[in-house]
Amino acid sequence: MDYIWQWNQIWDYRQVFVRGAQATLVLTCWALLIGLVLGLVLGLMRSARVAVLRLPAAVYIDIFRATPILVQLVWIYYALPILSGVQMGNVTSAAVGIGLHSAAYFAEIFRAGIASIDKGQSDAAKSLGMGYGQAMRRIILPQAVRRMVPPFINEFATLMKLTTLGSVLAVNELLHEAENLINNTYRPLETYTVVAVLFGVMIYPFIWLSQRLELRWKTRG
Amino acid sequence: MSDAPLIKVNGLRKSFGKLEVLRGISFEVKRGEVLAIIGPSGSGKSTLLRCLNFLEEYQMGEVEFDGALVGYQRGKAGRMKLDSDRNIGRIRARMGMVFQSFNLFPHKTVLENVMEGPLVVQGVPRAEAEGRARTLLARVGLIDKIGAYPARLSGGQQQRAAIARALAMQPAAMLFDEPTSALDPELVGEVLEVMQSLAAEGMTMVVVTHEMGFARQVADRVMMMDHGEIVELAPPAQIFGAPESPRTAEFLRRVLH
Ligand SMILES: Nc1ncnc2c1ncn2[C@@H]1O[C@H](COP(=O)(O)OP(=O)(O)OP(=O)(O)O)[C@@H](O)[C@H]1O
Ligand SMILES: [Mg+2]
Repeated sequence: MDYIWQWNQIWDYRQVFVRGAQATLVLTCWALLIGLVLGLVLGLMRSARVAVLRLPAAVYIDIFRATPILVQLVWIYYALPILSGVQMGNVTSAAVGIGLHSAAYFAEIFRAGIASIDKGQSDAAKSLGMGYGQAMRRIILPQAVRRMVPPFINEFATLMKLTTLGSVLAVNELLHEAENLINNTYRPLETYTVVAVLFGVMIYPFIWLSQRLELRWKTRG
Repeated sequence: MSDAPLIKVNGLRKSFGKLEVLRGISFEVKRGEVLAIIGPSGSGKSTLLRCLNFLEEYQMGEVEFDGALVGYQRGKAGRMKLDSDRNIGRIRARMGMVFQSFNLFPHKTVLENVMEGPLVVQGVPRAEAEGRARTLLARVGLIDKIGAYPARLSGGQQQRAAIARALAMQPAAMLFDEPTSALDPELVGEVLEVMQSLAAEGMTMVVVTHEMGFARQVADRVMMMDHGEIVELAPPAQIFGAPESPRTAEFLRRVLH
């Protein structure tokens, strides 16, 4: 082991990492917003009684889970403009692509969470005279959300890691900035180490929070 | 007006797929009457009860509650059309239901469970809903458990809280589906006591039960069901003293010994 780590050069370029991390967070936020909202809608559709709602959601979810996200991203960036005439910038394309992709997974989390609540709960809510919306908001979702938190945090971590695929569309997120940096400094080991640590620092708090919440809800019963 | 039956069931048929579970059920429940429903497992008792407040859809016949059709609207040319969610909810709100497995809301305290209906469905102000809930919880003997979550209660306490939750809607009738079947034997009495006092106050009740003592002492009439049909519907004196149907006699012989 005679590799000599050289951190001073990396430190000189710290602004590059800050910039990259910021871009990663922005991309994460937009993709998360799209994924969550669309995922909730798809998840509710998937839980609906009527096939008109259930089927399109099922098809969407299956398509996005059965194809590689890299293909989806490239398709949205290069093929969609040709077909629809709508050209989105690379950051928007990446956010939309990762969002649409994650929506399929969030939808499954919502659906499974709703399905895991005992039927007696909706029976009881209905017997009090609650409508579908009231029963969902007041009785089913508050219980389902607790069961959704661990898989949700899991999917969130996956989503943040997926933002590195933005580099394929030349989005200057953390990984892309790092790769550019390596071209100047020729210090790949140090640079990738910093990238890994930064991702860990951004993701770990959520994993920690999820474990804390689970523990708290378990003790309350 | 008040002589008219509160619940009227006419020619009710219900199938799950190919399995016909209710095969033409007709009966009435008068205001203030306590009707007990007995019968072997799988005879359709729960399904019948759930049709009364439309937790189950039915395919044929009618259920009327206080003069209004439950679950359907009579359209043009007498065709039946599914009623709106809103109307169905309105009728359900006037029938309290108590389940075998309690079905309290586990993420809410006992007090919140009982306040939930008035607050959310009837739009009663919070202070009034809380007053109502406290009165009812005192009545079922749970005033010291108001802040507890359901998981911390015994089965008997949970069921009494569930009864209070249903009563908080100030319903015109109460439906019970084997309310004591999930309870340890020593906890059955406390729940039956609450039900008995309700009956004594003149509440209209339909009670599916395996507690023959309750059916005999509290019910005004007892309905014996088998294979989705009414075998016998008569006062308890007849059912338990001199049943007309051999099927009733046979069923009672099995459960009473
Ligand atoms: N949701 C359902 N889907 C399909 N079949 C059902 C459903 N609910 C009930 N059944 C069937 O309908 C029949 C009547 O069931 P029901 O629960 O009404 O009987 P029960 O008289 O209440 O019996 P128990 O005393 O065991 O509670 C049974 O054969 C049951 O398997
Ligand atoms: Mg039953």
